[in-house]
Amino acid sequence: MVTLTRKRRAGRGNGRPRRAAAVALVAAVAIPLASACAAGTSILDKDSLVIGVKPDQPGLGVKARDGKFSGFDIDVATYIARKLGKPATFVAAPSSEREKMLMGGSADLVVATYSITPERKTKVSFGGPYYVAHQDTLVRAGESGVTNVRDLRDRKLCQVTGSNSWRRVKEERKIPVTLVQSASYSECVRDLKASTVDAVSTDDLILAGFATSGTKIVNAPFSDERYGVGIRTGDVDGCEAVNKAITEMYQDGTAKKLLQKWFAKSGLALSFTVPQFEGCG
Amino acid sequence: MTLSAPAPTAPAPATGPGPAAPPAPAPGFTPLRRIRRVRTVPGRIRLLAALAVAAVLLLFATVALAIGHAKDGLNAIGHTAGPQVVATADLYFALSDMDAQVANLLLTGRSAGLGPGRQATLDRYDERRSQADRAVLQAADLASGDATEQVTVRALLDGLGRYEQLASRALVLDEQSRHEAGPPPQAVLDVYRQATDLMRLDLLPKAYNLTLDSGTIVRHAYLAELSAVQMGRVWVGLAGALALAILIVLQVFLSRGFRRTFNLPLLIATLVTGALTVAAVVVLQHEGGVLTDAKENGFNSVLALSRARAIGNTMHGDESRYLLDPQRADTYEQVYLDKSQAVLYVPGGNLDKYYAAVDAGLAAYPGKADFLGFYGSEAAHVTLPGQREAIGKVLKLYQAFQQNDQRIRRSAEGGMRRNAIGDAMGPAFGAYDDALVQLTALHREAFDSAVRDGDDALGGWNVVPPVAALAAILLILIGVRPRLAEYR
Repeated sequence: MVTLTRKRRAGRGNGRPRRAAAVALVAAVAIPLASACAAGTSILDKDSLVIGVKPDQPGLGVKARDGKFSGFDIDVATYIARKLGKPATFVAAPSSEREKMLMGGSADLVVATYSITPERKTKVSFGGPYYVAHQDTLVRAGESGVTNVRDLRDRKLCQVTGSNSWRRVKEERKIPVTLVQSASYSECVRDLKASTVDAVSTDDLILAGFATSGTKIVNAPFSDERYGVGIRTGDVDGCEAVNKAITEMYQDGTAKKLLQKWFAKSGLALSFTVPQFEGCG
Repeated sequence: MTLSAPAPTAPAPATGPGPAAPPAPAPGFTPLRRIRRVRTVPGRIRLLAALAVAAVLLLFATVALAIGHAKDGLNAIGHTAGPQVVATADLYFALSDMDAQVANLLLTGRSAGLGPGRQATLDRYDERRSQADRAVLQAADLASGDATEQVTVRALLDGLGRYEQLASRALVLDEQSRHEAGPPPQAVLDVYRQATDLMRLDLLPKAYNLTLDSGTIVRHAYLAELSAVQMGRVWVGLAGALALAILIVLQVFLSRGFRRTFNLPLLIATLVTGALTVAAVVVLQHEGGVLTDAKENGFNSVLALSRARAIGNTMHGDESRYLLDPQRADTYEQVYLDKSQAVLYVPGGNLDKYYAAVDAGLAAYPGKADFLGFYGSEAAHVTLPGQREAIGKVLKLYQAFQQNDQRIRRSAEGGMRRNAIGDAMGPAFGAYDDALVQLTALHREAFDSAVRDGDDALGGWNVVPPVAALAAILLILIGVRPRLAEYR
């Protein structure tokens, strides 16, 4: 930094050649520095962390008008950052951007209902999972004929554009349901109350965020969605530190407290034991 | 670290790595200028001889330190923590197999002729239980330095006790009900569900995480010792160059001042010092390679394959549980698919698509390894002789295991429950598991031989550095003594 300012001042009065030389010199110093930073850094070497979270997922991650984020994911991310001894700032991480943000360095961690999948693991690494969500079904509170996903046979299921959850029912489980198009899960829940659909099926934590008095979760989970903490591939130290923080979050009771704080009201059966980690290596 | 201690004593100009680097004599002269009293010839000889002895001692110290680090690293990976981590990986396997055996017992009921028989299954359960107990002890030993891990080990021990109670209650109820092969009465299922949930959702994840944590301990030890060995190599090279430079200056000084061609003892001392330096640098280089080899090609693969084996075992258990508890069949089928994809990933949203994708993906192997998961990375890193064939065998039997699974589910859906149970208890899983054990053994052998190789290369290094250093020092003294005597 010292050389940088000194060179600039020297160049100011003396015309172009000097300035060009100064620029060249600054570049010569800065380029290897920048590449050295990109090559082997760990989040453990950073002074603060930028964490990508969902801006529009009730209960998990919501951005308020004042720009503040809140939700289960935000609380988990805050806990992890505190265990790593770093202040955290949050940025919105849309589903399609999550890998790009980690690979490009605009986010250090992503805690945004980010399911661990083998395809994603070819691009980024995962700490955790910090919770294993399950696909479950939301029905009207008065509904008594649905105790299992198979009971959805011949009923109307909400299909949200861009979400794959309906496939797990109709294609994977091969249950003959009538699909009703919808733009979002909040719209699905409105349709459910208005009886234009009979059921909404997706991750239980997402359902819990939408669940209100007129609806109930069936509590018949039929898939594992392992919510991981996305981290740049190669940062094994950082990933291991995240896993340790998650282990402690379950050991000291924080995980239970946070899960109850955000999801207990929905009547969802929650799990309070530490999930099986993916492994960092 | 202790290694950086020699830094102040080793003057900075001695960076020339060559034994006769021209700038190297400078450090010999710098103190010379300061000390006025040594301007006499014998004074200079004494000073140079003292510096040479000091430099040889410094060389000895750096060699001893670096060799010590190589030994520590090899010991941690090859003899203590490394094998212990592999033992904790067996914990997951033992636990998962306990639950699988309970499921098998409940599923067969009083029917004979299915699988290995009731007593053999009970024996296997007991064997796994004591294996799990032993592995928990290993894990407790490894976790002694980490409070978080200790909590996990304790929780695991408590949970294991609770599991055993629930499992034996389910078995007693099951025996009383005297049911035929197939799902047991609801009362038995209720108890077994508690047991298997405790095992699958609480204990197995903890056991798995414990193995990962222990792997972290080994990784850190490995990285620390490897960098100490590599740094040690540099320091040995520097100290050796310094010693050689001083010895050469002394030689030149003596031959010019006394008009003699060579001082023979001093020449031998120089050769001994040079030989010690070169040998130490070479052996440290070798040990660095051995550490990397043992860690990357041996330890990592053994650990990954142990995890794959443990997951495979829970898949086999999920087949039994799928038949055992029809109400939860969907869940068990889904977790079976998830685990299959962790072991060998090919895209496929449901089991039928997965079976087809496995067939297609493995038909292209070994020409193309178009799959991910544990076997994807194993197939992508073939480093050992015979490994490719062993992987090929594992994959073929894995495919057969999946085809058997397809038959099980077809039979179950078609109402032919006894056929399904017969297939689930059949030899498909055992054959696959045996092939996997063989593949793991291949890596284990590579690991053991790397460690043995490292141990062998270090043989004698307790003795060589002190003897060589002592010889060099004695030769220096013998070499300068007659010259000093001329001034008496």
